[in-house]
Amino acid sequence: MRSRLWLGLFGFALLALAVAALPRFISDFRARELAIVGMYFIALLGLSILTGYSGQISLGHGAFMAIGGYTTAVLSVNGVYGHQLRALWTIPIAGVIAGLAGLLVGLPALRLSGLYLALITFGIAVSFPQLPKKFDHFLGGTTGKILELPKPPFGLATTTNNWMYYLTWGIALVLLAAAWLLVRGKAGRALKAIRDSEVAAASSGVDLATYKTLAFGISAFYAGVAGSLYSIANAYVNPDVFPIVLSIYLVVGLAVGGLDSLLGLVAGAGLIYFLQNHADTVARWINYLPALNLDPKQPGIPSMIFGAVLIVVMLLLPTGVGGLVRHLFGSLTTRLYTRS
Amino acid sequence: MRVIFVCAIVAAVAVSSAGARPVATPGVSSTEIHLGSSVPLSGEAAIAGNVARGIEAYFKYVNDKGGVFGRKITFTYLDDGYDPGRAVTNTIRLIQQEQVLAVFSSLGTSNNLAVRKLLNDAKVPQLYVSSGATTFGRDYKKYPWTIGYIPPYSEEGALYGRYVVKNIKRPKVAVLYQNDDYGRDLLGGLKRGLGSRVSSIVASVGYDPTSADVQPQVTQLKASKANVLMVFAFGKFSLQAFNAVSRLGWKPQIFVNDVSSASALMAIVPQNAANGAISIVFGKDPAAPLWRNDKGIRLFQSILGKYGSSVNSRDLKDGYFTAGMATAYTMVDTLKKAGKNPTRQSVMNAATHLNEKGNPFVLPGIVIHTSPSSRFPLTQVRLQRWSGNAWHPFGKLISARPS
Repeated sequence: MRSRLWLGLFGFALLALAVAALPRFISDFRARELAIVGMYFIALLGLSILTGYSGQISLGHGAFMAIGGYTTAVLSVNGVYGHQLRALWTIPIAGVIAGLAGLLVGLPALRLSGLYLALITFGIAVSFPQLPKKFDHFLGGTTGKILELPKPPFGLATTTNNWMYYLTWGIALVLLAAAWLLVRGKAGRALKAIRDSEVAAASSGVDLATYKTLAFGISAFYAGVAGSLYSIANAYVNPDVFPIVLSIYLVVGLAVGGLDSLLGLVAGAGLIYFLQNHADTVARWINYLPALNLDPKQPGIPSMIFGAVLIVVMLLLPTGVGGLVRHLFGSLTTRLYTRS
Repeated sequence: MRVIFVCAIVAAVAVSSAGARPVATPGVSSTEIHLGSSVPLSGEAAIAGNVARGIEAYFKYVNDKGGVFGRKITFTYLDDGYDPGRAVTNTIRLIQQEQVLAVFSSLGTSNNLAVRKLLNDAKVPQLYVSSGATTFGRDYKKYPWTIGYIPPYSEEGALYGRYVVKNIKRPKVAVLYQNDDYGRDLLGGLKRGLGSRVSSIVASVGYDPTSADVQPQVTQLKASKANVLMVFAFGKFSLQAFNAVSRLGWKPQIFVNDVSSASALMAIVPQNAANGAISIVFGKDPAAPLWRNDKGIRLFQSILGKYGSSVNSRDLKDGYFTAGMATAYTMVDTLKKAGKNPTRQSVMNAATHLNEKGNPFVLPGIVIHTSPSSRFPLTQVRLQRWSGNAWHPFGKLISARPS
């Protein structure tokens, strides 16, 4: 256990350092790309608490991101009683509203598990995009809502992209620490107990109802914050910004990162961004293989590359990046301890 | 807390060390003009990405013939999966990373709406938007750096309305429309075109773009005993509508909107419903027998065969490629007009002073014309009727310019 603690602290310090130092070495546009990776990372943190720790599957986290994104859009464009809020201050509100929605979804989750829960949450992902169309005067319909372009506040002399980067990763680090404290403590043990056996957990005095709904609420809070940041960065929301497939991508990121490895999720977030937006780079790598010549500019090929890479990654890393790291360092530390 | 503190310090250092920007026009060097676009190459609308591949082939052809004032055109198009969020990232990448002169022919209404403010704030031309939403040509006072290309949907609807009033006795019109801006733009135009006869619309039913099938809507419309059916539906929904009409044994005069009238689509629906259907046309359709020996289409096929990347024989009959080449032709014209040393301002100026005759990829006689206060480049169309597995244009060129 101690080795894992040190490994975790070490990883956190490494990540914090990398986050702080990276913009020195990358272009302004890369900072924006990494900001979006950071948003996926935040959403994945939440999903990890829910799926990795409490064992409940959600195929609908894109919808919670959408709730967060729309909250920010409504508060900063429509405003409250005609008073528009600064997009920055809407981030926590977006998190809380998405969190409340998560608690609501958590209620039926008490009675459902496994496949059935996955179906319910998927239903939410599918039906959410209808809401903005139904209430199009309030939520903008398919035309969507155009937000103010993000600008660094307090006259900070930095670029918009760098500002989004620091904002996102600052929040991500805080939320990572919070998630880590949560899963290390009593709540984390309770969640894991539920994951491993609900009956055993209940008989040891774990309140199933409280913890299961709580996990949903917290995880939706994370997704809401991520969605809010996403709408600020794009300065635009409409139902297509949070497509149904986003929910699936998040589950993909979780599986690649490692279900219950908070730090591994950075890799998961990076991969889902990379595969969506850099299919041409992947194609160049793939084309080094003999007898293959993929043209990433041909319609449909990017999706194919996404699928193929995913299959390979999951074959090579069945427990995700987190599992790999644990395997490498875990065995090393175990060896060191047994020798002394 | 400490992390945030470190972040702040690093941010300050990073920013203070940022160098000054060059003053030259982005995207223009002595040998190159760089243009960019965001199109779907994955997801549901991936096939429309062929527009960009047609553009790319045409630019390569122009480059081979010496380029524009000796400069070669580089065209970078990025996949957005038809997701506006990714279109924003792509557009920022085109401006900041690729340093393009202008964003050109990006596809989709929402995707272009999402980046319009961004591009106008950065004073980067948003040229020849690949969407018929009226706003891209109309709202130039607020967005002076934006211009559309194809005829606006509202005018298309109005044309059908005027045709019905003139040619169909005692019309009873049923409308199937997609319940979003696109469908409502068409429906609004239709009502305007019908004018005092607007009461001849006996039923109009919207469907949601995410629904599974429009058969229930068509059944409902049939019950209205209409003799005219407007299919303002997109892609598979249009196909389903024809299927339903055929299955129900209904025989209305069908009007199908331009974006769903591709020959490839019309050829696979039940022909007893499709025959006689009317639509508009402004580009040459490489699948239509009418153009088999046309110089423009032959040029199109030779360019695509020679310069297109991984094209197959089916692509040579794909209207998305011709549509791309038509826009690319106008773009090359624009660059020529923009002068020997183009700037973003001079390109925008050229785009709003077009008077292009003889674009080989659009119908003969069409003049692509713009002025600073009239930003709908392509506003002449003909009607066409489907029969014998092909579209046949009829009547003269008519105007689809918003008044």
